[in-house]
Amino acid sequence: MHHVALITGGSRGLGATLAAFLAAQDYDLVLTSRHADELEAASRAIAHYGGRILQIAGDVADEDHRQKLVAGAWELGGLDLLINNASELGPSPLPPLADLPLDRLERLLAVNVVAPLGLAQSALPLLQQRQGLIVNLSSDAALGGYPGWGGYGATKAALDLISLTLANELKEHGVAVVSVDPGDMRTVMHQAAFPGSDISDRPLPEATIPFFAWLLGQEHGRVSGRRYQAQSTLWEIAA
Amino acid sequence: MKPADFLFERPAGQVATMPPEMRGLARDEVRLLVSTPRRHAHARFRDLASYLTPGTVLVVNRSATLAASLPATGRLGPFMLNLSTRYQDGLWLAEPRWDRSRPGPLPLHPGVSIEAGGLAGRLIAPYPGLARLWFTRIDGDVEAAIARAGEPIRYGYIEPPLPPLSAYQTLFSTVPGSAEMPSAGRPFTPRVVAELEADGIAILPIELHAGVSSLELDPETIDRPVLYPEPFRVPVATAATINQARREGRPVIAVGTTVVRALESAFADGQVRPAEGFTRLYVHPARRVQAVDGLLTGLHDPLASHLAMLHALAGTELIRGAYAEALREGYLWHEFGDTHLILRDSIRNGW
Repeated sequence: MHHVALITGGSRGLGATLAAFLAAQDYDLVLTSRHADELEAASRAIAHYGGRILQIAGDVADEDHRQKLVAGAWELGGLDLLINNASELGPSPLPPLADLPLDRLERLLAVNVVAPLGLAQSALPLLQQRQGLIVNLSSDAALGGYPGWGGYGATKAALDLISLTLANELKEHGVAVVSVDPGDMRTVMHQAAFPGSDISDRPLPEATIPFFAWLLGQEHGRVSGRRYQAQSTLWEIAA
Repeated sequence: MKPADFLFERPAGQVATMPPEMRGLARDEVRLLVSTPRRHAHARFRDLASYLTPGTVLVVNRSATLAASLPATGRLGPFMLNLSTRYQDGLWLAEPRWDRSRPGPLPLHPGVSIEAGGLAGRLIAPYPGLARLWFTRIDGDVEAAIARAGEPIRYGYIEPPLPPLSAYQTLFSTVPGSAEMPSAGRPFTPRVVAELEADGIAILPIELHAGVSSLELDPETIDRPVLYPEPFRVPVATAATINQARREGRPVIAVGTTVVRALESAFADGQVRPAEGFTRLYVHPARRVQAVDGLLTGLHDPLASHLAMLHALAGTELIRGAYAEALREGYLWHEFGDTHLILRDSIRNGW
């Protein structure tokens, strides 16, 4: 029986890197992204590993789409790992909160907060069957108070609290939840945060692979509820 | 901190090419260089107790060495797969090499199928920034493959007859997991331990499963080298005993650089916490050593990242002076070689 992972934002950046890392370990994958052509390319790039890949293009803020993703996992036999990686940044360049259009903030909340929780809710029965793991991607902006990052940062702060609360609530159901700040990476999103700047000194998303290799090997009960920095020097587990 | 601080000329012959037992010495008869801010002394390891004050706490690494070198084959022919660190059941960070003396690099890419120790496997991805190390999937019972086909990791400077796995264990080795021997504990013998205990010196364990040898520091990135993490654990009782010793002003001495890495990783808010996880902490002069007052270690090669730790502990002047002594007096480098006790506080230690 192969492991099954569902990755949102799976067509590029960190999501595509994790998809390749898991495909090489014989995971079957449900990948989603709003960009059908990029999703197709990302899937093709890892098809040679031989695992099953369901690419389902769409918007995670759309509840029907989320249902399709969970149905896809069901079709693959279950779900061991839900990676809520898809995020929106908001307007680029990043405006101060005083100028952040509220409809954009509502959209940020829909994609970065409501969608990950919605997927967790819908996928819960499948995750419970396999004592699965939910990974919610966070950011140092959740803690920083950096000017310009208020909208995005607020959604990640909310997601952090959802991760912690879910971890506590799901403990007795055998489902673990962790929050992961991947650190700065050379991605399309990072470039959008710094339009026109040279970001070539930032590490590629591959820099987080050692962390995920480690995380997926840990006893769930000892990592659930924790918030990790994927590029830090220390990853601790509960005693 | 500058690269020149970590440079010196070590004559090619100043390397232990076999265990002391194969050179006619007992384990505890290797040499011991004792360095304090006041002086350097030349002794034998078995006299260790006479250089430590009663009440000292010695912290040792109880990780045992695995027979982590597996014969491997693939489309590129036969090669050697040195397992470095276990990440998951069946997922290891490993170093593919041609053989003991030829590290490669081998012509590899993600997805390549291999067989290692009789088990099927696949190269998943290179370690970011350290292209000689690969995340490697190995399907099946890796422990059994290690028992059946594994050899201790040995490099080209070790002379035949090649030492058995037992030569790579220490008196404290009880928890298997290291790719390479935590070698600072190697010279300890029951008689040395008995003398230490008679002098009121406590010996406490941590675990840190050492990976394969790190390469030299790159002078370009000496402030931020790419180091891979290692699994470690600081038990509650060890943390408590260290903290009590620190409160009472008794010295805490790490036996091995692995112990410094583990304890510094566990250090926060003025004390050592019980901790468990993976750490890739780089201990270097810009970051103070806080958990220990001294270090018992071997002799490290030019530009070895461990030299940065030694300089962080005791200062560049003391360490460079010590290495000048060790070079002049013909000390032997590497895991079967001579030892070095570094005490950063000469007053507390009497001389």
